[in-house]
Amino acid sequence: MNDETVQRMPQPDPRAPRGRVLDAHLHLLDRQVLDRDGTPVTTVDDVELDGIELGARIEPGSPAPTVAAILTGPQLPMRIFGGHAPARRRVAIPWKLVASVGTTVRLGVGADSLDASWVERWVSGHIIGRIPGGRHDPE
Amino acid sequence: MILSDLLGSDALEADGRRVGAVVDVRLEISGAPAQLLAATEVTGVLVSPRSRFSTWGYERRGETAPVLIARLQRWLHRGMFLVGWDDVELVDEGRVVFRGGYERRDPMLPPSPRT
Repeated sequence: MNDETVQRMPQPDPRAPRGRVLDAHLHLLDRQVLDRDGTPVTTVDDVELDGIELGARIEPGSPAPTVAAILTGPQLPMRIFGGHAPARRRVAIPWKLVASVGTTVRLGVGADSLDASWVERWVSGHIIGRIPGGRHDPE
Repeated sequence: MILSDLLGSDALEADGRRVGAVVDVRLEISGAPAQLLAATEVTGVLVSPRSRFSTWGYERRGETAPVLIARLQRWLHRGMFLVGWDDVELVDEGRVVFRGGYERRDPMLPPSPRT
């Protein structure tokens, strides 16, 4: 490769995106979360970010924060009226279980394996299941 | 920390001057490979000088319809800019402070599948 060829080659922009670009509020909050079979699990009420320490100066060149989990639970009223739900009331779905982000957020696991669906499982087993005919499909 | 702690925070320059509010956090799915999706990193924060909230993102995409809503949203968020995470010096409760000489970048999202 001679000098002329090197000069003609476009210089790659070091800040060009290396993957899919998302805006957290725009593309994640309030999206429906579906499991691997397409069953609705919950909605994205908030997102947990790892690597941000409140009040600590960020040294230049520090690793960027990462998305740790999707949070669900009683977050929606807090976003409308302010304040915070206690951390113990939040249900986290680890980001490593997310398979794709589009109009919905698709997970790579079944809903039954998630804490986020325990209310539905409990209602199904303890209430719906006690109604006569509640344990099988309609005939 | 959680995202909603960051949204609506005051965006401040190093000398303490307020330049707007953080309305969104830009992410990139480009980190360490994982079984399903690569690690998703924060690459910057979006700052709107005139509003604390941005819901539909007209000012960051090429969407033009419905015309009235698109124009209103663009007007409301005129002057929005992106600050790379490298230019963020401090995140505290209710405020984000940028480094001296930080760069205001174009907030437009790269073309991607409609979502």
